[in-house]
Amino acid sequence: MTHHEHDPLVIAGREFGSRLVTGTGKYDSFETMREAVVASGCELVTVAVRRVDFDAPADDITAYLEDVLLLPNTSGAETAEEAVRIARLARAGGLPDWIKLEVIPDPRYLLPDPVETLAAAETLVEEGFTVLPYVLPDPVLQKKLEEVGCATVMPLAAPIGSGRGLKLKDAIRIMVEQAEVPLVVDAGLGSPSHAAEAMELGADAVLVNTAIARAGDPVAMAHAFRLAVEAGRAARRAGLMEELERAEASSPLAGTL
Amino acid sequence: MTVRVNGAEHALPEGETLAALLERLGLGARYALVERNGEPVERARYGELRLESGDELVVARPVAGG
Repeated sequence: MTHHEHDPLVIAGREFGSRLVTGTGKYDSFETMREAVVASGCELVTVAVRRVDFDAPADDITAYLEDVLLLPNTSGAETAEEAVRIARLARAGGLPDWIKLEVIPDPRYLLPDPVETLAAAETLVEEGFTVLPYVLPDPVLQKKLEEVGCATVMPLAAPIGSGRGLKLKDAIRIMVEQAEVPLVVDAGLGSPSHAAEAMELGADAVLVNTAIARAGDPVAMAHAFRLAVEAGRAARRAGLMEELERAEASSPLAGTL
Repeated sequence: MTVRVNGAEHALPEGETLAALLERLGLGARYALVERNGEPVERARYGELRLESGDELVVARPVAGG
């Protein structure tokens, strides 16, 4: 195997050359966002849907996001019904029928509601959406979401925007082991090393927003995440050594002077 | 006739289409997402859909988000 081997991420039959998905929130400007998206190499990019404020005209974000697939999210939804409403509105208005499903009733930790998420996923899959649900790292919920036809399952590493890295590694490891659709670690990755760790653990992709947008130099950090995701993926495929309790000399023990 | 758009009243010529209203509101841009009386409107219908007095519209768009 060479590092140039074709190794696409495949979601719902569509191939992506990059295993990094990025969010568009929290950038200082759309120009910086566009440059960061390009530097990240990502091909799938989230956007939110909000009411237009006619008193404060804003630029059209989609003009800055060429050559990527837009992934509208259901942020703001606290119930399944609200999430379904946002998805239907987005699709009717011409956005892709791919939807990042997030149902978040709790403003303090922004943790997703598993019951409402599953209910919304079922409805949206029936209506023909490609559904990418954001969830807690719950292997049982993962199976249920797969059963109703979700295209991915996207467990959080740590609370959104916290940058704390993989806090429930053992649960994610179980999810990797039993995944039948791509597993995307979404939220809470604060550094490229976190992203690499998720990929080494066997995630199929990661979704990063704050760690790039809020970096000192977001464009440079986007590139760093790109390298980390590629390194983590390559390491996973190469097969990591097993950890040992004790030391094992790397140099020969025989023939020492 | 009058319609409400995101809660604000707008006086419009009779028979104004949704596309014309969006243009008037400065949203000729690519993505305006519209709900009319609680139902999402297909983009392909924006040009033909004639608004009626009393219509309640929600107009949304994609914005930055994670």
